[in-house]
Parts: sequence; C-alpha cells; structure tokens
Amino acid sequence: MSGNGMLLFLAAWPMTAALLSYIIGRFSKKSRDFFADGAVLLEFAVLLGLLLAGVLAWGGESGAASGFVVSEFCWEGFCGLGLHLELDGFRALYGLIAAFMWLMTTVFSREYLARYRNRNRYYLFVLLTLGATMGVFLAADLYTAFIFFEIMSFTSYAWVAHDEKEAAMRAAGTYLGVAVIGGMVTLMGLFLFYHVAGTLEFSELLPACRALWEEKQGTLYLAGGLTAFGFAAKAGVFPLHIWLPKAHPVAPAPASALLSGILTKTGIFGLLAVSCNVFRHDPFWGMAVFAFGMLTMFGGALLAVFSVDLKRTLACSSMSQIGFILVGIGMQGLLGEENALAVRGTFLHMVNHSLIKLVLFLAAGVVYMNLHQLNLNEIRGFGRKKPLLAFCFLMGALGIGGIPLWNGYVSKTLLHESIVEYGALAAEGLSVYGTAAFWKGAEWIFLVCGGMTVAYMTKLFVALFVERSPERQEEFDTKYGRYWSLESKLAVAVPALLLPLMGMLPGLVMDPAAELGAGFFGGGASARPVRYFSLENLSGGLVSIAIGALIYFGVIRTALMRKRADGVRVYVDRWPAWLDLENLMRGVGRGLLAVSAVLCRALDRILDGSVVFARKTTHRQLKEDKIQVSRNRLAYWTGCFLEWNSDLLNKTVRRKRPVEKAYVRRLMEFEEKTVRTNRIINESLSFALLLVCIGLIVVLLYLLWIR
Amino acid sequence: MEQDFLLLLPVFFPMAAGIFVAVLSGTKAGRRGRRLFVAASLILEIVFTALCLAGEGRSLVLWRLTEELQIYFQVDGMSRIFASLSVFMWLLAGIFAFRYMDHEEREDRFFGCYLAVEGALAGLSFAGNLISFYLFFEMMTFTSLFLVFHEGGRAAILAGLKYLFYSVAGAFMALFGIFFLAGFGGLGYFAPGGILDGASLSGHTGLILASAFLLVVGFGAKAGMFPLHGWLPTAHPEAPAPASAVLSGVITKMGVLGIIRAVYYVVGVELLRGTWVQTAWIILALITIFMGSMLAYREKGLKKRLAYSTVSQVSYILFGLALMERTAFVGAMLHVAVHSLVKNSLFLGAGAIIFQTGKKRVSELAAVGKEMPVTLWCFAFASLALIGIPPAGGFVSKWYLAEGALASGTGAFTWLGPVVLLVSALLTAGYLLPIVIHGFFPGTDYDYGSLKKREPSLLMTIPVAFLAAGALVLGMFPGVVVNAVTRAAGGIF
Repeated sequence: MSGNGMLLFLAAWPMTAALLSYIIGRFSKKSRDFFADGAVLLEFAVLLGLLLAGVLAWGGESGAASGFVVSEFCWEGFCGLGLHLELDGFRALYGLIAAFMWLMTTVFSREYLARYRNRNRYYLFVLLTLGATMGVFLAADLYTAFIFFEIMSFTSYAWVAHDEKEAAMRAAGTYLGVAVIGGMVTLMGLFLFYHVAGTLEFSELLPACRALWEEKQGTLYLAGGLTAFGFAAKAGVFPLHIWLPKAHPVAPAPASALLSGILTKTGIFGLLAVSCNVFRHDPFWGMAVFAFGMLTMFGGALLAVFSVDLKRTLACSSMSQIGFILVGIGMQGLLGEENALAVRGTFLHMVNHSLIKLVLFLAAGVVYMNLHQLNLNEIRGFGRKKPLLAFCFLMGALGIGGIPLWNGYVSKTLLHESIVEYGALAAEGLSVYGTAAFWKGAEWIFLVCGGMTVAYMTKLFVALFVERSPERQEEFDTKYGRYWSLESKLAVAVPALLLPLMGMLPGLVMDPAAELGAGFFGGGASARPVRYFSLENLSGGLVSIAIGALIYFGVIRTALMRKRADGVRVYVDRWPAWLDLENLMRGVGRGLLAVSAVLCRALDRILDGSVVFARKTTHRQLKEDKIQVSRNRLAYWTGCFLEWNSDLLNKTVRRKRPVEKAYVRRLMEFEEKTVRTNRIINESLSFALLLVCIGLIVVLLYLLWIR
Repeated sequence: MEQDFLLLLPVFFPMAAGIFVAVLSGTKAGRRGRRLFVAASLILEIVFTALCLAGEGRSLVLWRLTEELQIYFQVDGMSRIFASLSVFMWLLAGIFAFRYMDHEEREDRFFGCYLAVEGALAGLSFAGNLISFYLFFEMMTFTSLFLVFHEGGRAAILAGLKYLFYSVAGAFMALFGIFFLAGFGGLGYFAPGGILDGASLSGHTGLILASAFLLVVGFGAKAGMFPLHGWLPTAHPEAPAPASAVLSGVITKMGVLGIIRAVYYVVGVELLRGTWVQTAWIILALITIFMGSMLAYREKGLKKRLAYSTVSQVSYILFGLALMERTAFVGAMLHVAVHSLVKNSLFLGAGAIIFQTGKKRVSELAAVGKEMPVTLWCFAFASLALIGIPPAGGFVSKWYLAEGALASGTGAFTWLGPVVLLVSALLTAGYLLPIVIHGFFPGTDYDYGSLKKREPSLLMTIPVAFLAAGALVLGMFPGVVVNAVTRAAGGIF
C-alpha cells in the first residue's frame, strides 16, 4: 500500500459503516438512522476537505491543466492486478456530488421508509453502494473501476427489490440480468485490452493504444466496444435501457434518486474512461457514441412523453438526459483537439442532471409516501396549495427543461454549441463525418428533444400542481396538511435552491467547476468564455421552449388524453405493449436457453443413454420382478423358532406383558432385501469384471503382437 | 536416496484411525468419545502433513516389485498444494459432519470411511510415480464409495454403483495409458517437464498421444469431464452433505491432480502442445463447462444443481490445464483452491438448509434467508465467488484463465475459451442467485408471523462461514497461492 490512504478510506469507510449500521440497527432503529446520517456526513466532509486541499495546494501555477493537485493510492496485489485510486479535480467534484446526494437521500429516507419492513437491510445496502460508487469514481485503472462497478451492481440490486412486490422483483430481475450480462461483456473487453495493450491504467492506455494503433485497430475497437457495453448498460443507453424505466419507479424514492442521479453516472464514467483515454479524439468512436446518444436521447424523451406514471416519466427522462451526455461525449471525439465546449457541456450536464434528478425524485417520493400512488390520474391535484413542494418541483422542472436562468440551460447550450461548431466545420468541408445538412438535422433533433423535455415536465407539473383531482381534491387539500417532516423539507429544498443559483451565476459556479473537471477528459485548451445569455445562445433555448409548448398542446393535451364517460379528461398510456423491448429480450433469452438446454441434455445423456440402451437390448439382464426369493430357507426357520420361543415365553414368564411376535415376517423381509441388493451388486460387479477381462485381453494382445 | 519414513505417517495414520473407528462401533464408547477421537485424528493429520511438507525433497521407496514397479512417495510443489488443500477441507467438513450425522445412522462406518479416504488422498498427493498414484486412486474410489452408499436406500446403492463404474472405467482407461507409456519410461519418478525416454519415442508419437489422451479422459472421469461426467449429478445428491462436499470439493480435484501428473510430469507439454490431443481436450473441457452450467440452470433439486455446477467448474480447471500455458496454469491452480473452498461451502450450506428445514428443492427455499440468515449469507458470498464477481476468488482465477487463453496461441480457442467461460459465469449467476434472492426477498405475501429462526448450531455454521470467507479473502489476496503455484510450475514450462 502506498500513497494517500484517505482515498482508500473514502471507499472503505462507507462499507465499514454499513456493517456497523446493521449491527446498531439490531438494537436501536433510531440510533441506526442517526449513525447512517453521520457516516455519510463524514464521507461528505472528508471529500470536501480533500477537494479544498487539492485546490488550495495547486496555488495557480501553470502546467497542470485542471487547477488541482492529483493524489494517488496504490494497493499492489489486491485482487491480482492491484487496486489503484486517484483523486483529480473531476473525481473530487463528482465524488462530492455523490456524497451530497447520499446525504440528502439518507436524511430523506427516515420519513419515507418509516413504515417499511427490512429497513436495516436498506441502510446496509445504501451504505455499501456508497463505498462502491466512490470506488468507481476514484478508480485510476479499468480493473479497479470494474471491481467496484460489479460490487455496486449487486448491492444496488437490493434497492430495486426492496419493496418485494411482484413488479419490483421482476424489475429487479431485469436489472440484475442486464447488469450481470453487461459486466461479463465488459470483462471480455478488459481481457482483450490487457492482452493487447498490457495495461489497464487510464494514464498508460492512451500511449499504449496509440503505439498499437496501426496494426491492432480492429482489436482495439472490439475491446473498446465490449468494455463500453457494460458501462452503457448501467447508464441506460439504447437498446440496453430496458431495465431503467422499470427499475427506477419501483425502488423506494430515495433509492430511485440515487439510481437515476448517480449510478447511471458510473456507467458514464466508464464510457468516459474508454472514450477519453483509449479513443481520445478519435472521430469514428465519437461518431458511434454520438449515434447511440441521439437514439437514447430521442427514445427516452419519447417514452417520457407517453408515460402516465410520475416516476416512470422521470426515469425515462433520465434515459433521455443520458443521451444528451452521450452526444457530448461523441462530440468530444468528433471535434478532436478543439473539443473544449463539448467537454464542459458533458461534464456540466452530468452535474446538473444528478442534482436535478435528486430534487425531482425526492419530490415524487413525497407524493408517494403520502398517497402510495404514482399514476398521474390518481395523484392529480395533490400538489395544489402546497407551495414549497411546488417550488421545489418547479426548480427541477425548469432546470431539466433547459430554461434560461436555470442550470440545465447552461450545459445544454454548451452541448448545442458544440454541435453547431461541428456543423460549421462540415460546411467548410473540414469535418470527418457528415455534411452540413446532416449536422443541421442533428441540431434540430437535439432541439426537439429539448422541447420534449419541456413538454413532459410541463405535463407532470400541470397534473400535480395545476389541475384538480376530479374525486379527491377536497381530501388532498385538507387531510395532507403535514405531508412532510422538517428533515424531508430540508433534503428537498436545499438541492432545489442550488439549481437556479447555478443557472443564474454560470460564470461564478459553472465555469470554474467545468475547468476543474476538464483535466480528466483530456480536453483541448481552455475554451473562450461563453456568453450564455447572448441573443444567439438564448435563441436555441427559446426554440426548444417553443417546440415544447407545441408538443404539450398539440400532442399531450390532445392525443394522449381522453374524455371519460363523466366528462373528465384523463391521461392515457398509448404506448403499444408490443414495443416493450424488455419482454422481447426476455423472450429471446428464454428461447436461446431452451434450445441450448435441449442440446446439453442430449450430450448429458449420451453415455448413460447408451448404457441403458445396451442393457435393454444386447446386455439384457434378469428382470427385476423375476427375482424370486425362496421362502423356506434360514430366515423362515429361524423366525419360526423364535416365534415358538416367544409363544412359550408369553405363556409362561411374560404372561402379563407378552412379547410381540412378527419374527418370520421381519426376518423374511430383511432376507429379501439383502438378497435383492446383493443380486444387483453381483450382477453389476460381474458385468464390470467382464469388461475388465476384455480390457486385459486387449492389452495382452497388444503386448504380444504390436510390441 | 535417503528413505524418509515420515511420509508414511499421513498416509497410513488416517487409515488406521478409520479402521479403529469403524471397529470401535461395537463397544460402548459412545458418540462423544468417537467424535473426539475423529476430531483429534483430523487435527493430527494436519500436523503430520505439515511436518512432511516442511522439509525439502523428501522421498521414500516403500516397496519394489521390479526396478520399474515401485511404490514410491515424494514431496514436490504439487504435493504441497493438494495435500494442504485436502487436509483442511477434511477438517472443516468433518466438523460439520459431527452435527450433521445426528440425523443419520451408522456414523461409525461413515467416519471410518471418511478417515480412510483422507489417507488415500494423502497417498495421492505424495505419490511419486504413476503406479503408486494409480494404486491410491483406486483406494480412494473404493473407500469413498461407502460415503455414497451411506444412506443405504436403493437410490443410494444405485448411485454408488454408478459412481463405482464411472470411476473404475476411468481408472482403467488411465491404466491402459500407463501400460502403453511403460515402455517409454513412463513408470519413472515424476519430474516437471516429463520423463519419457527421448530416444525410444521416434516413430511412436501416435501411441504416445493416444495414451496421453486415455490418461486425460480416464482421470478426467474423476474430475467430471464429458463424456464421463455422469456419476457426479447422481452420486452427490445421494451422499450425506459433508460427503458430497468433499466429493465435489476435493475428490474431483484428485482427478485434476492425476491429469497434471500425467501430462505435465510424465508425458511433458512439449510433446502435446499443438497436437490433436490438446485440441480434443480443449473441446471436451469447453463442452463440459457449458453443458454443466446449462444443466445446473435447468435443475430443480438443490444438491443436484450444485453437482452439475461442479461438473462445469472443474472443467474450468481442465480447460486451463489444456491450454498448456503458464498464466492459464496459474489460473487453473487458483481455481482448484477457489472451487474447493466455494463448493465445500455451498454443499455444506445446502446440507445445513436440508438438515434444518428438510427442503431439498430450489423452489421451496423462499424466505430461507429469514430463517437462517448466517447460512444464506455464506451461501451468497460463496455464490458470488463462484460466479466470479470481484473481489471474490472466482474473478481472479477467471482473469488468469482468460489471459492465459488469449496468450496461448491455440487458434480459435484463444477467444472462444474466454467467451465460454463468461457465458458459463452468466449461467452460474442464473442458477445460484435466484436461491439467494428468493431466500432474502420472499415477496410481499410472505407471512412474517410464521417466521421461525432455524439457524443451525455453531458446529455447522463456523465451517461454512470459514470456507465462504476463505473464498473471498483468496480473491482479494491471491498472492500467496499465485507464488506457490508459480514456484511449483517453475520446471514445467
């Protein structure tokens, strides 16, 4: 072990705390809750300290690009190749956000989970996952990242399955299935990387792969694609997103916030590790990621527009936002050295999405913990006359919708700018891929997706806070006066306040943060300062908003709503069931399994089957029922003798307590059993001996004639 | 050569102790006394083995029929690994058996055979030439046969006979191989890199290859390699849990040892690399890996599922050996240790579940994690180790195996091998995780009111926990084993 031990502490402490909290929870629920809060707070404080220390120690010298002093930790020989952790600006910042989210959700959990069973288990896995997630974000090589990534996949399973309802178990099964398959595919990619490049260190992969580029390009793309597979599955990239719209809604709300806000980002982290190291500035790779990003962005938004379930909409929205981030990663590769805009856009959108989804999922959690419903038609109007909840949700909605003055706008503008920039290159004929028209089209799809975001967030907000419930409005307004505790209020409102703050002061908050994070991406030179509120940039945002309004009024209020018999307009789910990719993939998997099972069963039976066949035909033996056991032998006579004896005894000595007499039957049964068993053994042994003799004769013949 | 009679102690002491236990049954020594005696023997055996392993280059010619036919013992790197593995597994499974056998009759016979098998295993580990190895191999078969017979019903007898036939058939195939090799110096003392007489080989390559293949398939029967794997899924479920644990965890490994001795210490890899023997062996191993996992996935009985799992997992080891490559060899030996720990833990865990609840089918095991949390936690960790989830043991051994395969230069198998390993890992997850999941997440309709704690006694949980923890720790710190194997593999490559 060498280096800064605090890095190991960051990963190991939550895991230790998890065990401690479990033990404490056996004795006192209340102290367990406080202990969990404290443990996460400690983690947060340590990270904050490390971040500040790193920034202050740098002191502004030139050279290091990111303005942060990097520290490392090595544990040689752990798991074979060793554990290697590193803390740079990006990791410190993202770790801090993770710890912040954990803090808020843990605080929120207390009220949310108050009436749940198995809370001890929940806290155990929440803390374990925190440690694993930290490990992923701190990893300095793919091996370490993979180790923690797998731990995280398994520990977070317990969140999804926590409810134990049927839907939850099914969703959790899909989640685990995708995670395990993804993990195995990624592992194959790592095998290949290690075999080809001889290293998995982020810092060594780039030079190693550049050196091999000429001769092993194909293998490297294959290895990269395989490695990216598992991470993409965790991030929810189309078509591996199947678990996401199912798993996020069924988990307890604090866990959904983490699943959506942070766990998907570990997938992004892995993708970044591959994209920014092995394939840094590689346009082909960039184009591939960009294409998947576009699909995910659009697919997620489409699902979200159609959804009529509060948390499901948010989950699909997560998928769509992951698409935005992927577009940014793709643009980094396409833009090559000049990718500063894309780098910042990607990083800031990751940060924004994490914080926004924290607010939104916790707000959804408030609804669920009161009503135990998530369907928009059921919860409609719940938020009326609840100004604080409305405010928090609105902050999140405006943030994710990319409305100017809120934080989502900043990152979306950067991403948009990077596409425009590449489009300009294409127009000049300098681009590697696509024509100017293609990139104009891509830009419009981007804006439309932004518009769909606005539309589905409007749908949620209007349903919750504007419309009236046709049946229960009275009850909603009066009965739920104290609908959340002070702690929950804090946990939702504090991050909600951050969103406009970041959006209104982008130069003060966002740009330095982006600068700090850029080192990890290997971005080009610092970008020119972006004037976020210039007319040109605002127009992109405004176009999106206009499209959003169009979609909301043109599609959602018309095609996706229907008038009920009593005249009330309700939301309807018009997404066709056969388009559910999860069922399709499950079906394909089951089919494959069935076919290979038949094949394997056949292989399994070959030898036994041929023996049985031989016994039935060429080596037929005595039939079982033909075995006759003679009944007049020793057993019978002994039995008779004993019964005669006991008769005698019963008549004389033991008149009061006569001896039971069944000797003949018992002895004869025993004899029959012995004879049968012996006969089976004898037959089999003689058969075996016969075979041995044949074998020996073959050997003898061989010895005589051939040698 | 100096005669080191100390080597006789770990071989014959347990046999004597076993006979003593079996004979003692008539007297009224009682359970307690017998168990104390067995426990003391198991611990003494560890001490004796440790003593034998401590020195360098111990050897002993016990008996000499002709100059070629000798019963000969020696201690080398492989002996160290396998001997220490088997004595520890024997102790842990033995401790477990003390409580488990409460439900069974004739425990004197069981423990007698149990100890006798341990002696045979020590003989196998220390055997210094093929003849001695063969002798103890048969001895192991015949003594362990009674462990399968133990429950005495018709099913157990038939299962035992099936075990006997497969083992004997395999052993005879190996014996043919030994006969054929005898003419080329194959009966000499084991030495890394092979001992065949180079001058006499020319013109007989085909024969050498055929006999090497016979040896591989023959000893492979014990290791459950297709096509002679059929005994495992029949015999394991019938034996009492501690016996199936060691059958699966240790005795199958002796088949592996046989193959290592034959291929790496007698024939030599140089002769086999790139021949049809290697290709056929790899194909058989890969078929077994996939088939075993697939059938385990479809199997409904708990112990039978684990038995199919053994079929698949032991072939991971054989695949690693078949690659004839240094890294893959390290991976294979690591997997010997990992699988031994894991499979013992799983079988003992399953035994504890069956002992406490009487449930033998996977579908009945919902909520068992609520009733026996410690046992199922151990089961869960062992499962993760077997699937190969980092940082547990299976991950590291799989890493070495796959890296070895990629570097082995065996054509399509360089990538096909790792792919099969990963697909099998996927199926492993598919057949082990549902047990754990349904055990811990019984569903909303589970009635917590009917929950009754059924955790078994410490005599049962401690061995299981120890083994599961071992699988985890071995994954995190594989350095010790890797070094030992690398040292042992020194002369081979």
